[in-house]
Amino acid sequence: MLLKVVKDWGGQSNKFERIWLLAKIEFKLRYYENKLGLLWALLKPIMDICIYYVVFKIIMKTDVPAFASFLFIGLILWNFFVESTTGSIQILQTKKYLYEYSNMNKLELYISQLFSNSIGFVFNFFMFLIFYSFLEKDSIGISFQILWMLPIYFNLFILSLGLALILSSIYIIAKDITQIWQVFVSLLFFLSPILYNLKLFKSALPTFHYLNPIAGIIINARRVTMEKLPPDFNLFLWNMVYAFVFLFIGVFVLNKLGAKAAEKL
Amino acid sequence: MNDNIILSAKNISKTFVISEDSHNTVKHRLFNLFNPPRRKRVEAIKTMSLEITKGESIGLIGRNGSGKSTLVKVLAGVYPVNTGQLRINGSTMLMNLGVGMSHELTARENVYISGSVLGLKIKQIDAIFDEIIDFAELREFMDTKIKFFSSGMVARLGFSIAVKAGADLMFLDEIFAVGDMKFQEKAVKVFETSWIEGKTVVLVSHTMDTIQKYCNRTIYMKNGEMIFFGDTLKAIELYEADNV
Repeated sequence: MLLKVVKDWGGQSNKFERIWLLAKIEFKLRYYENKLGLLWALLKPIMDICIYYVVFKIIMKTDVPAFASFLFIGLILWNFFVESTTGSIQILQTKKYLYEYSNMNKLELYISQLFSNSIGFVFNFFMFLIFYSFLEKDSIGISFQILWMLPIYFNLFILSLGLALILSSIYIIAKDITQIWQVFVSLLFFLSPILYNLKLFKSALPTFHYLNPIAGIIINARRVTMEKLPPDFNLFLWNMVYAFVFLFIGVFVLNKLGAKAAEKL
Repeated sequence: MNDNIILSAKNISKTFVISEDSHNTVKHRLFNLFNPPRRKRVEAIKTMSLEITKGESIGLIGRNGSGKSTLVKVLAGVYPVNTGQLRINGSTMLMNLGVGMSHELTARENVYISGSVLGLKIKQIDAIFDEIIDFAELREFMDTKIKFFSSGMVARLGFSIAVKAGADLMFLDEIFAVGDMKFQEKAVKVFETSWIEGKTVVLVSHTMDTIQKYCNRTIYMKNGEMIFFGDTLKAIELYEADNV
């Protein structure tokens, strides 16, 4: 069964090509319809960084070293998560033209959407590396630990994919999931260690970084990029389990509810 | 499964549950927890079984509302079935006045996406791209978003993609109504030369001449039931006898 799927996705089939084509077109639609192009992808995190920097560093005098970079890496991961979940809720509606006339596998829609977001993320991540290496005053440089970003990013990708599948399937039967999720997302934002010192976060909300599936990803990403440390493996494994549980539920829900998208939406 | 069988359906049926007021928000569901919506069940497709072999051209006839379009969508794998099993051996494409195209994209992008969904590799699409655009007579507009196209232009593009790319199993729902007379002539010609041979086609039409000309077997539907599946002439005879 599994072998067949792998074989099907590899060799003769054009699935990868198709997913990549859809991702590229999606990306072009989002960023190249305006003059700013890719810089647009960077603009949002930079604006956010400016705002939080003023509030937390200048007004509240937080003691996090290299605070701008600290915000930078946290916010680009967070933005990817929000774009991939909130941005995918209505995907079965907006991409209806693709599955309404053929027996295309709907999972491909989601993967291509996330690939499209990944292009933006990779660009932002390189901007972060440049910023951290050359512009940040308190930078201690980058070590080979940064290679851990690959599995950490994979983890984030799977988590976002799982949630996107669940949310967009619920959208078929409950349209206001969009609003409900937005409230939940802003709650999750303030309950994630994006803005605060990690010690402060851990003492105020003990074990919460284990409960919040995105917290560990951000904590580990900072360790491997900014602190020259390996990831916290306990947390890393825990997050992987979260991601795959969500993915599993997501695929299940897509098959149950999502199959009815063509007739219900 | 026999390699020659492209589609096999066993005891499939499709029922739509239609509620009178739309309960599709959480808010609505909560406020009406003790006041469930009145629901109506519509049996669109009654239990039926059928098999289609490769290279066949199947006709599908019946009056309006007899379930033709629903059956087509079920067989194409767009709608899930309520009971039974459906096996499709390949890609399917359903075509009525348009195929799946995004109005936000240009003609070129739509050709690539549709071709890819139909199972072609990018290189294969590169090879037939010019043919598609020329057949649709849209060379000047290939980098224009199709939301600026007239409906005829969109339909022509869809038809050209379907002709040149084509899925393993094509469902054609009244496709000869596309374009002006000149384009229709061209469409019929292409249909006769390239589709009848090699491709597996399910043709939905109200024009008995078309059905009689192209289909070797025909399904006659009435009120969601498959009354007859077999010889085309017999099916048309039954349909016409019922219409008197």
